Amino acid sequence: MELYAQISEKLQKGKAKDVKALVQEAIDAGLPAQEILEKGLMDGMNIIGEKFKNNEVFVPEVLVAARAMNMGSQLLKPLLAAEGVKAHGRVCIGTVQGDLHDIGKNLVKMMLEGKGLEVVDLGTDVSAETFVNTAKEQNCQIICCSALLTTTMSVMADVVKTAEAAGIRDQVKIMIGGAPVSEEYCKQIGADAYTADAASAADKAVEFCA
Amino acid sequence: MPVLTVHQGFQKTEWTAEAGTPISRILAENGILVPQPCGGRGVCGKCAALMEGGLSAPTPEERKAGTRLICQAVLLGDASITIPQTQPMDQIETGGVEVMPEQPLGTGVGAAVDIGTTTLALRLFDLQTGQCLGVSSMANPQIAVAADVIGRIGAAMDGRLEHLRSMIVSAIETLIAQSAAQAGFEPAKVQTLAATGNTTMLYLLTGRNPEPLSHSPFEADCLFDETVQLGSRKAWLPPCLHAFVGADITCAVLASGMMKKDDIALLCDVGTNGEIALWKDGVLYVASTAAGPAFEGAGITCGCGSIPGAIDRVAVKDGALEVSTIRHQPAVGLCGSGLVDAVAAMLELEWVDETGAMDDDEVTLRDSVVLTQADIRAVQLAKAAIAAGIECLLRTAGVKHEQVQKVYLAGGFGSHLNLNNAARIGLLPESLIPRTEVIGNAALNGTVMTLLRGENLQELRRIAACAKHVDLGGNPVFNEQYVEMMFFPEV
Repeated sequence: MELYAQISEKLQKGKAKDVKALVQEAIDAGLPAQEILEKGLMDGMNIIGEKFKNNEVFVPEVLVAARAMNMGSQLLKPLLAAEGVKAHGRVCIGTVQGDLHDIGKNLVKMMLEGKGLEVVDLGTDVSAETFVNTAKEQNCQIICCSALLTTTMSVMADVVKTAEAAGIRDQVKIMIGGAPVSEEYCKQIGADAYTADAASAADKAVEFCA
Repeated sequence: MPVLTVHQGFQKTEWTAEAGTPISRILAENGILVPQPCGGRGVCGKCAALMEGGLSAPTPEERKAGTRLICQAVLLGDASITIPQTQPMDQIETGGVEVMPEQPLGTGVGAAVDIGTTTLALRLFDLQTGQCLGVSSMANPQIAVAADVIGRIGAAMDGRLEHLRSMIVSAIETLIAQSAAQAGFEPAKVQTLAATGNTTMLYLLTGRNPEPLSHSPFEADCLFDETVQLGSRKAWLPPCLHAFVGADITCAVLASGMMKKDDIALLCDVGTNGEIALWKDGVLYVASTAAGPAFEGAGITCGCGSIPGAIDRVAVKDGALEVSTIRHQPAVGLCGSGLVDAVAAMLELEWVDETGAMDDDEVTLRDSVVLTQADIRAVQLAKAAIAAGIECLLRTAGVKHEQVQKVYLAGGFGSHLNLNNAARIGLLPESLIPRTEVIGNAALNGTVMTLLRGENLQELRRIAACAKHVDLGGNPVFNEQYVEMMFFPEV
């Protein structure tokens, strides 16, 4: 469908207003919301995510594409709810306690939503207890922790320990990311996965939810 | 123990160290400072050097860079290293103000020093006549430990606080000795010191544990405005405004004189951290925004500091790039002002579109100095952080662009910036350019003003009392504006 391809293309260029107008056009034409989401918005975001992984595009393009995705999906949200569309899984995400950097965390959130997962956004400065309690109360399959400071990444180890203490460690996957974080650190603290970029994080999350 | 043989220029020195010691530590402990703009993460490739002998296997970062990196290699047995000759820093703003002394902070000879994260600048004065007796500047030796403040805070918390403290104290000693030599007297004659800097720098100078600065809510447990003993001298430290808005900004606000008028005025100091202050109706709104080191040349393929041979100006002439370098030397790299010019020129030539996409993967500026697509993206991130910070502060105070009567641009980078090009790439709002004044190293000027005129102490305290910190981290307006400002303005 021509319209879906246009939505995908404008989204990849970060043209938020055009995306919004095209999504509205698709809704007015009576196309199903889920199809608009998957064949238009998610298609564009997946292409951007793939290029991001391969270093063909950089953070600025992903940020503006994510904003365009957001504007389009706002229009679809009420319709998706009405159509009774179910998410493929539920994830809670946040920047760890002591850290206020959330640009990267927001990117991962957008990518997760782009993959059709439901995301509980805990914001920034999130304590280990809040991560674990949210996962427990809202039945999240995954906890995603982000840290941008070398001085705050140790909270990720607390999240793992707190999940163990709460007895939900075997029910939840813990994913970590952020500039100072590494694969080695992930192993050291006993988390389930480290991913280097937002697109890989989303792929991994889908794998965990399958 | 293994021996590391170090070749530097025509000098050859040998040091022993335990097997397993990182090369960077051996060099730093012996006073050889090799800047590591990326903080020793092996990403920027700026610490490349020739190394042979008993060394650790190349790390993935080194394989990627295609060379051994000082920040990555570890000494295992006897080895040798050839350190590239470092170029002297040029263009460090030591500034200049003329002040008639009145109730100076001391007697005899006094020094004012600005402890920047990247560079130090010092001026020596006759406290009776106000005559400037000497100036000196150097790179901050703590760069060898980490390029940014967070890296240094981390190192201090890892037990290297005393090391960092002694580095800065001896650097100041060197600067005093250099400037005293210009005036022809002994450094011991300098009895009084006024030292400004960002909050972290003052913590490290005084050997205070910077742990409170390492995590949110980022509340400093000391904002200074005090006199401390530094060796044989008394050192006065001006008040800081917040954990990440330091005494350098307090002093810059003083030097600008912005709070002497009722006009709405904005002050920006663009560096690795962009600090912004907005004066309106008796409140000084202040914020800091992490721009990253792109404008200081780090993280840019051919980026460099303001050294001879750095491309510092780029213009468009007859549909092509016209490039000039510092001291007209052969091009060795691209410094901050040249970077802004280059991006503006490429926008004008439409080699880059408003989304930041380049027609070709890279453009040769001159000789081997290129600008790549990744560089353009790094500039977008850096300029968006500054522009979004300004916008967020203006909105918080309920100020529209046209209401801002004056903009003061402080700091070394600002002094060499082509303002129209800064507006062209969206670093500064275009409508404010006609009202923008470049005020040089205002942090140091404000410190000098206080060293020579004690009454300014009261003014600094008034600045601190009027300050209201605006948090940009996790601020939804900032996040929205950050993405909004990511593109280049359409003409």
